[in-house]
Amino acid sequence: MPIETDAIVVGAGPVGLFQTFYLGLQEVRAHVVDSLPHPGGQCFELYADKPIYDIPALPLCTGRELTERLLRQIEPFATGFHLEQQVSELQPRDDDRFDVATSTGTRFVAKAVVIAGGVGAFQPRRLKLDGLDPHRGTQLFEHAGTLHEHAGRRIVIVGGGEAAVMAAIDAADAGASAPASITLIHRRDDLDATATALERLRELRAAGRVAFLAGQPESIVEDGGRLAALGVLCTDGTTRTVPLDTLFVLLGWSPKLGPIADWGLALERKQLVVDTQRFETSTPGIFAVGDVTIYPGKQKLIVCGFHEATLAAFAIGERVWPDRAQPLQYTTTSTKLHKLLGVSPTLP
Amino acid sequence: MTHVVLESCIRCKYTDCVDVCPVDCFREGPNFLTIDPDECIDCAVCIPECPVNAIVPEEDVPGNQQHMIALNAELAKGWPAITRRKPALPDADEWKDRTGKLDELKR
Repeated sequence: MPIETDAIVVGAGPVGLFQTFYLGLQEVRAHVVDSLPHPGGQCFELYADKPIYDIPALPLCTGRELTERLLRQIEPFATGFHLEQQVSELQPRDDDRFDVATSTGTRFVAKAVVIAGGVGAFQPRRLKLDGLDPHRGTQLFEHAGTLHEHAGRRIVIVGGGEAAVMAAIDAADAGASAPASITLIHRRDDLDATATALERLRELRAAGRVAFLAGQPESIVEDGGRLAALGVLCTDGTTRTVPLDTLFVLLGWSPKLGPIADWGLALERKQLVVDTQRFETSTPGIFAVGDVTIYPGKQKLIVCGFHEATLAAFAIGERVWPDRAQPLQYTTTSTKLHKLLGVSPTLP
Repeated sequence: MTHVVLESCIRCKYTDCVDVCPVDCFREGPNFLTIDPDECIDCAVCIPECPVNAIVPEEDVPGNQQHMIALNAELAKGWPAITRRKPALPDADEWKDRTGKLDELKR
């Protein structure tokens, strides 16, 4: 059975998150879909620990902090998150609603759709080695989800970012279900993760529980159809063969402007054309906000996306509640909005 | 509008930018990368990825690098797309801080 809802927000980046907040204030129930395993979009995936200086009233925050603050702000609206899936189908229905389906089979019927897709859906970066692809799903994984199913086996993790470092730590700290050996491979001995994680990894390396190798995987070794080892060109110029049972390629994610281009919406330079009053695309009922949009004067800034999401929320409110007047109310004074937010401030 | 690869990339070609480009608009020459201005959507995701800060929006191209705007467009027409990161040129670290590398460009 499809999930019936007022609105679907495509993309859980900062603008998609704020979109669900403002939709909540309009009493529009929303579900959010994102290809990444966590909310935050680019802010989390590319800028988690990098500074942002141009969010109003926040002189400095990181992408991670911005995401955490937005998640706290939208808490009252109990948004349904559908992560690690990509909206693959978007079809108008006869009843002015939309059929929406995702890559993992989740189906929705929604009165409105907001595309907050940024620069596209993030997809795992792959390791391109001759003969490696057929092992995907059996011995090759591009996410750490099955990490704990490898007790007693030899695992190799390729990557130098937070995902790879955390996977090495989690595997080593898994107690009885820890693998027999853990080798972390990155092209240079310069890993990018939180200070706490790097410290823990240093301890595990010193204790001999995680081996680290600086180098570039360049070939695979097979034995009777099984992936048996990885050939690595090390930074010291030598080639090493690392035997393994399971290979985790955790090289992070890169965005691809995917199926959005196939939904029959007006595009300009691969971005969605919207009006600047309602932020509606060429199909009534399908809205777009944030970096995925193009209009005269568009600037790809988070603050502009927040503005776009606010006006889109009013337009979607009209669509979902056609018979209801929408007087402007302030969160400071409106008892109706207080109720929606679950707050009861004492006003002086 | 587009984004432009400046001279700093010549003889380095780190290719970190390529992995994050959502529209695969980088083109690869022997010792330089260029952005196809007809494909670039100005998302700016590549800018912080470049270890030598070689990528800027067209309107931020410094006065002494203005020729790189036309050069990016011209070279992009003849060079193949590069969509995956690969190792930088072997002596990239030696060249990354040098300026005035235009004569080193191989077509």
